[in-house]
Amino acid sequence: MNKELEHSFVTNLEQNQNIVHKVCRIYTSDPDSHNDLFQEITIQLWKAYPKFRGDAKFSTWMYRVALNTAITLYRRSKRSIKTADLDTMNFKIKAEEYDDEVEQQLKLMYAAVKQLNDIEKALVFLYLEDKSYKEIADTMGISEVNARVKMNRVKTKLKKILNP
Amino acid sequence: MDELELLKKDWKKQEDVLPRLSYKEIYKMILKKSSSIVRWIFIISILEFLLWASLDVVFRLNGMYSNVEKVDMGLFSLIASIASYGILIYFITRFYINYKKIKATDSAKVLMENIIKTRRTVKRYIWVNISFFALAMIATMSYALMFTETFQNSSAKNQLPVWLIIVVTLLVTSVFIGVIALFYRVIYGIFTRRLKRNYGELKKLEI
Repeated sequence: MNKELEHSFVTNLEQNQNIVHKVCRIYTSDPDSHNDLFQEITIQLWKAYPKFRGDAKFSTWMYRVALNTAITLYRRSKRSIKTADLDTMNFKIKAEEYDDEVEQQLKLMYAAVKQLNDIEKALVFLYLEDKSYKEIADTMGISEVNARVKMNRVKTKLKKILNP
Repeated sequence: MDELELLKKDWKKQEDVLPRLSYKEIYKMILKKSSSIVRWIFIISILEFLLWASLDVVFRLNGMYSNVEKVDMGLFSLIASIASYGILIYFITRFYINYKKIKATDSAKVLMENIIKTRRTVKRYIWVNISFFALAMIATMSYALMFTETFQNSSAKNQLPVWLIIVVTLLVTSVFIGVIALFYRVIYGIFTRRLKRNYGELKKLEI
């Protein structure tokens, strides 16, 4: 039984690992911390897996556990604490697809997202993942109205960072 | 155009450049131990319970209670022991119930609340213990001053005035409490600073 559970979990996660990688990209700034966080999210997902019922999509369920781990459960190791510099190394912008101006703007945007606090990052992440305000509200445990209000504030904050 | 919309478009393309782990690599990860703050809080809390619960035993072994018994407070110390074990059992039960409620599948806010509650249980236990300790110290002192013959007979010729003894006792007690409180603030701070900040940020959204 245990082997079966392990197999179904690892297969599921292998197929949906992009979600976890994207969370790691938002919250970490170097490959070591990325792997560290990925590791912890995997453990948390695995611990919660026996209670996972097929009634929700595996990927939907993953968003919660992954974000909860990044925001609350994960203990950052010393090396990953401060990287407030304009660090875009995690996001590889494919230069050939954009003109210079757009490329520059994207770089600055990613750098600006990195400067947001943990909660704001989670909101931006869910927004970028095309989640509805209802889903964002459910994941964070706030009301839908508050999710909208906060999202607007984050947008304003990003604008301020970009155009000081 | 909204900058976030531009980012959203690019975000989808990011998937092509994400790392990819193999089945084997992921499998290896599930065999490892978590290093989450919940695990740390659990270990530290158990240590705190053990430490405070064992103080009573340590005092007994060191014969510290024999002084107390000398001043006829045997009954008092018996009641105190029973009470302190009752309190310990109550707090451990509360701690366990709260700890079991911590689930990574809850919403971010509920998860944070449950962790804070669990931690608060231990913190309250510590405070009850400190108060207990301070009370016992003051009670022993007053008892000795007011009812024991040694003090009643000798206080007149003794060069130390009663008020000085009281002041010194209070001072020692408050310094003791201060040091422990500071120590806990540091430990507590290390583990919950980020948690509290994020929880505050979420609460701030409530209009």
